[in-house]
Amino acid sequence: TVRPKNEVEQKRLCAFGEYVAEILPKYIQQVQVTCFNELELLIHPDGIIPVLTFLRDHTNAQFKSLADLTAIDVPSRQYRFELVYNLLSLRFNSRIRVKTYTDELTPVDSAVSVHKAANWYEREVWDMYGVFFANHPDLRRILTDYGFEGHPFRKDFPLSGYVEV
Amino acid sequence: MFMLSMQTTGLVGLAVAENPHERLRILYTKILGVLQNIPKDAAYRKYTEQIVNQRFNLVKTETDVQKLQDKLNSGHIEEVIVQAENELSLARKMLQWKPWEPLVEEPPSDQWRWPI
Repeated sequence: TVRPKNEVEQKRLCAFGEYVAEILPKYIQQVQVTCFNELELLIHPDGIIPVLTFLRDHTNAQFKSLADLTAIDVPSRQYRFELVYNLLSLRFNSRIRVKTYTDELTPVDSAVSVHKAANWYEREVWDMYGVFFANHPDLRRILTDYGFEGHPFRKDFPLSGYVEV
Repeated sequence: MFMLSMQTTGLVGLAVAENPHERLRILYTKILGVLQNIPKDAAYRKYTEQIVNQRFNLVKTETDVQKLQDKLNSGHIEEVIVQAENELSLARKMLQWKPWEPLVEEPPSDQWRWPI
């Protein structure tokens, strides 16, 4: 069986995506709607805090809840890490995804000032990928062992690690 | 009798607002004042003025709180007040960030290509 196509929802999300892109042309590089009706905003890394604050505070887009903050490693790109923020709006019952990019050495603004929930998520991304978040209140390891060296989720980190346990 | 009308909003942490019309009037005038400093052709100013004027007119014409909540269709009146405060702080921050300018930097050509 195939999921039925929801044209109405797709049009609605496209319209909202164009609305946001019209308001924030300084930071939004691309807007796309997946075939599963998921809206994604592709952002320049300087615009993380402006875009997230806009999505949280604006009346037409009250995305008050940060559902997830992850990263993807694509080693062949110039900016290998792609940060993904998933936001949920309780007022309008809709979700949106905000994506940014960075490489190993460039720090990124922390989203903690916008969403308190980003605290541990950013610690996890730092621990697993090595993406440094500027202005984070307490950026330290959260999942790896105390003396652990390396960032496990990177693609060049071997599956069984460097140290024998 | 001390407790004449002890109402609650039903939401944790939100106290009942006495005189919500006055509060909303103040907030909306402040927002419109901040928006005047943004260039006239910015999309943010256009859309936010539209929303704020719409809500402001509803607040001015409707004096009954319950009917105003129904017309605004946006939850409790206290939530509308919180939303207006958020919009005001956002407008002030937008003045500094100036997001209506053209794109800061183009991404590398293979950045957003998927599959790689």
